[in-house]
Amino acid sequence: MIDFQNLTYTYPGAARPALRAVALHVPEGGFALVVGPSGCGKSTLARCVGGLVPHFSGGVLRGKLSVGGHDPVALGPGGMSQLVGYVFQDPEAQAVMDRVEDEIAFALEHAGLPRHEMRVRVEETLDLLDLAALRDRALDSLSGGERQRVAIGAALALRPRILVLDEPTSQLDPQSAEDVLQALVRLNHDLGLTILLVEHRMERVLPFVDQVIFLSESGALSGTPEIVMPQIPLMPPLIALGKALGWSPLPLTIKAGLRFSRALALPPAAPAAPATPAAAPFFELQHVDAAYAGRQVLRGVDLAVAPGEIVALLGRNGAGKTTLLKCLVGLHRPTRGRAIASGEDNASRDVAAICRLVGYLPQDPNALLFADTVREELLITLRNHGIADHGEVDALLARLGLTPHANAYPRDLSAGERQRVALGAIMITHPRALLLDEPTRGLDYDAKQQLAELLHEWRSEGIATLLVTHDVEFAALLADRVILMGRGEVIADGPAASVLGSSPLFAPQIARLFPGTGWLTAADALRGLG
Amino acid sequence: MIHPLAWVGWLAAVMATLSAGRNPLHLVLVLLCIALVEAASPPTTERRSTPITPLRFALTVTAISAMLNALSVRYGDTVLLRLPDWLPLLGGAVTLEALVFGALSGLTLSGLFVTFIVAQRSLPTSALVGLIPRAFYPLAVVAAIAITFVPTTLRQARQIREAQAIRGHRLQRLRDWLPLLLPLLVGGLERAFQLAEAMAARGFASAGQPQHATALRASMVTGLAALLAGWLLILAWGQVRAGQLLMLIGGALLVGTLWLVGRRAPRTRYRRTPWASGDTAVLIGAAVAIIAFTLPLPGIDRAVLAYYPYPLLHLPRFDPVLGFATLGLAWPTAVLRGGRSRVVE
Repeated sequence: MIDFQNLTYTYPGAARPALRAVALHVPEGGFALVVGPSGCGKSTLARCVGGLVPHFSGGVLRGKLSVGGHDPVALGPGGMSQLVGYVFQDPEAQAVMDRVEDEIAFALEHAGLPRHEMRVRVEETLDLLDLAALRDRALDSLSGGERQRVAIGAALALRPRILVLDEPTSQLDPQSAEDVLQALVRLNHDLGLTILLVEHRMERVLPFVDQVIFLSESGALSGTPEIVMPQIPLMPPLIALGKALGWSPLPLTIKAGLRFSRALALPPAAPAAPATPAAAPFFELQHVDAAYAGRQVLRGVDLAVAPGEIVALLGRNGAGKTTLLKCLVGLHRPTRGRAIASGEDNASRDVAAICRLVGYLPQDPNALLFADTVREELLITLRNHGIADHGEVDALLARLGLTPHANAYPRDLSAGERQRVALGAIMITHPRALLLDEPTRGLDYDAKQQLAELLHEWRSEGIATLLVTHDVEFAALLADRVILMGRGEVIADGPAASVLGSSPLFAPQIARLFPGTGWLTAADALRGLG
Repeated sequence: MIHPLAWVGWLAAVMATLSAGRNPLHLVLVLLCIALVEAASPPTTERRSTPITPLRFALTVTAISAMLNALSVRYGDTVLLRLPDWLPLLGGAVTLEALVFGALSGLTLSGLFVTFIVAQRSLPTSALVGLIPRAFYPLAVVAAIAITFVPTTLRQARQIREAQAIRGHRLQRLRDWLPLLLPLLVGGLERAFQLAEAMAARGFASAGQPQHATALRASMVTGLAALLAGWLLILAWGQVRAGQLLMLIGGALLVGTLWLVGRRAPRTRYRRTPWASGDTAVLIGAAVAIIAFTLPLPGIDRAVLAYYPYPLLHLPRFDPVLGFATLGLAWPTAVLRGGRSRVVE
């Protein structure tokens, strides 16, 4: 169905090719997962399938590509649109209309289909994606998972035979991501749709796919998950553990892994560590209520984070996590209760004063970046606070691994590098606390590991960190304590091992393999198993 | 829901009544009708929200307009205070009449703003776009995207403002707006690019070059040139008749070309909104208001609308027939509150 034959592509003005001699085949009805480190060309590969590359992006393409017997380079995106449907990362950035049904019908109107034909297709799309109950809803009233399903529906309405998705679950909570993936599995199994999915978080997807394509600078490695996963450096914790313990065949699902884990003689459970007296918190919320646009978002929230502690905050989209962070830095004023940082009530200070003490990295770090160079971004923060630079900028750039990019335009960098620039812009004033909102979005495993190491270092320097994330594996890697939120309330608050280990929705892979042991990461399991 | 065409009629009626004159009694009546419709219209969603509430907009604009007029117009008999003459532009008498006239202008603007807010809130994007004739389909898509982009841009502006605040940024001088405007501009361009890519992937603009593309392009350019030339003839050489004729020809060329381009690509419409009796009532109410306020009819004293507080502030006159005709603008309230569900085909 999809045939790449020695394809090499270079973006206009780029020094190196984005794709180098890629050769792979995706059969009809296949469900293929595309993985690789950041910047390896995954999105470029996806865009080649429908002719967006090179028609939309320009550049030089060499080699051959055949999709469903057609040449996307010759036909272009217009000609390929009936064969290939696209879903991009941000559902908001691809919507034209404001209601679910209208958005699905938009492409059909443009194609000039007769009205009765449009009605049939819209109805079948709504049913396929379980959207019928939402048909009259405004798009901005939907959850992230629902919006992404609408985006899939909008692509499906033209009845393509191939669906290409570029990180469709990166902005979604685990449940919403699961809903989207289940929808894709249904489309693949029930309709025989060929699916090409680009995704960083392999642990979500591997159980469903029948082909993995690993892209790197040297080309593409393609095959079944059982063949490819043992050969590639990127791997979710389950596979990392399986490789380390020599499990064969390498389990790709928790169910397959349980066959091995249950056969292991587990050491007796270690006695619970004596509770250490809680250190005085660096920042806290006391009985905080908060409302947004007339809706109660936080209810009676009590939360405290001590110096040198990393706390992960998890919960579904809409649980109030971002509002909680904003209350802590003064961007949102509570309707009741107090937000305190460094012993002082936030109500008596403005945002700038609070943020000298508490660094806040928002969900979209791009909103912070506007300077011409990376160095200038850090200097601007110092200037805003009236602080002179005595070498702190260079020191922090070196610590963040950004010295080679000091004079680069920040928006030209990769997602991980841009995030580190944004971190630099907020940490340059040496705040004693750090709030991070979904810091692992769009990051590959390597970039996440680098971020985790950085946060570990800052923790050892006594920085109090509160981390909002949907990435349970990242939380398991880092957090001393985990807080679960639901409908604006704290519903669980305790050591990471007990909260994550006992949550069916938020348990990381290792905790599911070894329930009751308190192990959250592959390293924990390997240590525990000796 | 009210049929989009009925809303268009209502919009036209409101604009006609608001721009007919500055009689405060009639103006207040029109604004009251608009306020009633606004109260009955669907609640605002985040997508359709505006950066400022209608009431705050009205108060702000009215106050600014009153102040600006009072400080720049030296006419009127009721002097409130006298600013020193040595003050450039501002020196001189500040009169009550100028203040009142400015306030009336501000109220008129506020009425127009709230009117468009109501229409935008009540009509889904597809209905707004559906008002554009099918022959001008590309224009319809551009309109749909523009409607969608505005609330997204406002939301992004808020996010950027917050992001810069956490870096210690404070708005104190004009150049302090740069850290807000640059990311907004860049982000907007990036989103536009992403949307263009998503639309290209859905086959938009896939029809390729239309037939006789060169001739159509030449026609567009000629039309634009004729418009500009006609305008220059009027402005620079005072040739009003010739200029107007040229502008008419240019406008007709442009509209005709757009129509031809749109007609060549087959487009269909998914939704069809059936016409209901409520829509007829709204349209009749709008028509009555337009006729009463614009046509010279016996028994209607339209001269009362041309109210000027100068030279001495005086009580305005009120025409009861015009007042009654104004009430036709409140019909959408009854239809919206009636809440009859309509099956949209």
